[in-house]
Amino acid sequence: MYQIRTLRLLPKNSMGQSWKLATVDYTTAATRPASSGTGTEQTETIVIPKRIQRSPTDLLQSLASTVGRDATAPHFKYSDDPFLIPMSNVAKRTYAMSKEAGRKAAKWIKEEHRELFLHQEAQPAIEKFAPRLIFSEDSEVDEVVLKKLIEQGQLSDAVFVYKLLEEKGVQISKELKQSLLEMVCFFNNQEPLSEEYIEERWFLQNNRRRERGVGKTWKDGDLAENLYASIEPKTPQAYATLIRGMAKYLQCERAYALLQEAGEKEIILDTNTFNAVIQIVSLLKDTAEQRWQLTQDLLQQMAKQQLIPNLGTLNALLECISTFGNFKLARQTSLQVLAEFKELNVSLSLGSYYYLLIIFCRERGPVSHIIVDILNEISGKEFSIQHPKDTYFFATAMDVCRNHLHDKVLAKKVNDLLHTGKNYDLIGDSFKESVYYRHYLALLCQTETVDDFMVTYDLIVPNIYIPEPGIMEEILRSLEINGSVEQIPRIWSDMVIFDHTHRESLLLYVLRIMVDNHRPDNEQLSAQCCQVALDMYQKIEEQTSAAGKRNLRKNFVSFTGQMLGDILTLIVRGGDVNHFEQANEVFNYIDKNQHSIPGTPSDVALQEYVRSCVHHKAPTQSLLVLQYAVENNMESSKLAQIIHQGFTLNEIHLAKLKSLVGDMDSLLLK
Amino acid sequence: MSFLTKLTPQLALVQSQVSKAALHTSAVCCRVQSGRYRITTKRDRPLTYEMANPPHFIGHRKSWNSWNTSTLKDGLRPSQTAIEDVFIRKFITGTWHALVCSEVIIKRQHNTIRIAGIIRQAISPRKVYFLVGYTEELLSYWLQCPVTLELQTVADKKDVVFKYI
Repeated sequence: MYQIRTLRLLPKNSMGQSWKLATVDYTTAATRPASSGTGTEQTETIVIPKRIQRSPTDLLQSLASTVGRDATAPHFKYSDDPFLIPMSNVAKRTYAMSKEAGRKAAKWIKEEHRELFLHQEAQPAIEKFAPRLIFSEDSEVDEVVLKKLIEQGQLSDAVFVYKLLEEKGVQISKELKQSLLEMVCFFNNQEPLSEEYIEERWFLQNNRRRERGVGKTWKDGDLAENLYASIEPKTPQAYATLIRGMAKYLQCERAYALLQEAGEKEIILDTNTFNAVIQIVSLLKDTAEQRWQLTQDLLQQMAKQQLIPNLGTLNALLECISTFGNFKLARQTSLQVLAEFKELNVSLSLGSYYYLLIIFCRERGPVSHIIVDILNEISGKEFSIQHPKDTYFFATAMDVCRNHLHDKVLAKKVNDLLHTGKNYDLIGDSFKESVYYRHYLALLCQTETVDDFMVTYDLIVPNIYIPEPGIMEEILRSLEINGSVEQIPRIWSDMVIFDHTHRESLLLYVLRIMVDNHRPDNEQLSAQCCQVALDMYQKIEEQTSAAGKRNLRKNFVSFTGQMLGDILTLIVRGGDVNHFEQANEVFNYIDKNQHSIPGTPSDVALQEYVRSCVHHKAPTQSLLVLQYAVENNMESSKLAQIIHQGFTLNEIHLAKLKSLVGDMDSLLLK
Repeated sequence: MSFLTKLTPQLALVQSQVSKAALHTSAVCCRVQSGRYRITTKRDRPLTYEMANPPHFIGHRKSWNSWNTSTLKDGLRPSQTAIEDVFIRKFITGTWHALVCSEVIIKRQHNTIRIAGIIRQAISPRKVYFLVGYTEELLSYWLQCPVTLELQTVADKKDVVFKYI
């Protein structure tokens, strides 16, 4: 209670500082008597700050700001139980969407059995808990009902009630018609995805973008235009609304025509309407010069109407400039625009920086270091959403860091910015988040030492981000370059969990790293590698047999001779007696299926295996190897030498050896 | 009739006591059965830790199943809370059919209700999440406050068995 009172007294932004100051006072209190002895007597006046009006949630928010994201736990939308923690990207999506599906089911039940949910516990009643009102042909409706529906944003109901009112011949006031027009234009007369379904929104965005390319979605001759026609005389608001609606749903020609019509009638429009039209200039004109001409015309019109450009204008202009094919012109104009807006005291949002990045850092253009300046400007700042494109910044910035400049330090700066304040809210959606981390991890694994990289890897995998197979390949490549075989057991277990074992390229990488980096002194590591190899052998064998039974899974991995040879080598190096039996099993598999397996194990692999046969005193097995080598036209004399020198062979074995490679003495002489 | 005649003297005694002194109203302690489980002949009735401890161990060896402040002095809605808790328990055991293998713990803090329990891993995680979303949402429509489910899972029902009696 005491703390709450103190909090209220403190000025809002200096809350943290005042606490620090208080502790400083406390520590210096002991030294104060000494200093007062010197005669510097000061009468401190206590200034009690004025009471600050706070909202009911301020305290909760300041408490919440002390808690960050815990990377060791799954996101809080998932249950914290081993069985229920998602372990792959697919699972993350499925679980979150299932939960939301359950929520939808409950909502459906509420609407279906509405009579059971009419009770209201709270005072005043909470409308969200009550079932929605149902309107039918003979419900009693009036303007008040329509107004309320528009306020609640229930599009289809509002439209229905409006039609009902029209049928009944009820006069509807102009203001109400205008607000209905605004709603219909905003949603294009289509019921939007409810804001309650955050998961669906989080996972849906990338699908929507694909659909976006289709172009015009505006419904011609639909309710919006009828409403607009029924508003007489035409108000500037009506013009503005319809223009913005058409521009939003890419009915470009008509939006522009309407703007011109309004201009001819000398109707004063507003800045945001012009912004909407500037945004679609790239769809109206084809070449950069024409586009720029048109935007300048529009800006002149704005100036004539004495409209002050705002952030939306800036972003619309930059979007238009970003479509210029000529990068020199684009760079030049964008800098001019920025200078103009600096005069106007418009501060940039993350969306503006996003446009700058795509203007300056193009794949085919020259390298630009604009991101350095941008980061110097904005690092440590906290942003809130001001423009729809603000969420594109972080993914693009990281893309630039990786593909354009290939700069680790910059990437870390971007990452710091992302984790400043509430900036993480601007990451966008699941797709952009994974793009961001994809670039971040790929860049770090190429530029950092393996140990430093693994620190970051441990931090964000798997709860925040799960690498896709492509990124896993990058990581394995960097491990191969650095020869850090110590990390392989760890990475392999992650690969198994993330279901990457169906990618042949990844498996080959893992095997190659383990075979090429043999550490005979480190027995534990060899044993771990042996375990990985055995695990892989079992996994592939399962896949092969499953695919043989039913041809369901298309992309399964099948053994190659090389792969099996590597597995054999690793098992042999693993070292103890049970492993030798497993090595025998693997070799027998090679021997038995030599016609169906493409390629053969390497000579070195067979030699190591034969040496291990010698070590474990298994002459019959070693002769099988020799036979296999001879049958497959491989280098057999070396093998024969190892066998001959390693064993004291009995008659039968000697005869076999002779039949395979001829006289041993002549071989030794060679 | 003979039963009544047998009782008559006692009734008279009771009446005289009532007229003389206050009625003794506390529960008869020697015959309490609730929360206690009878031993079976085969000794094969599985009990969880919670069931194995009779009610007088609440607060010592085990804890309460409903956490709220309605029964404190000046507590609000005592009867409604009790009825709601019964409803929640019935709803959970019915919705999570044959899956719940512990008591359903209901914790109320301010306006939120947290429901905890242990379930079996008999259905896929996907379905678990569906039911979690469904239960949370429907209960919050019914009780008109935020409801959160806090589940733990066990691989086998036997994992929660403390002893057989």
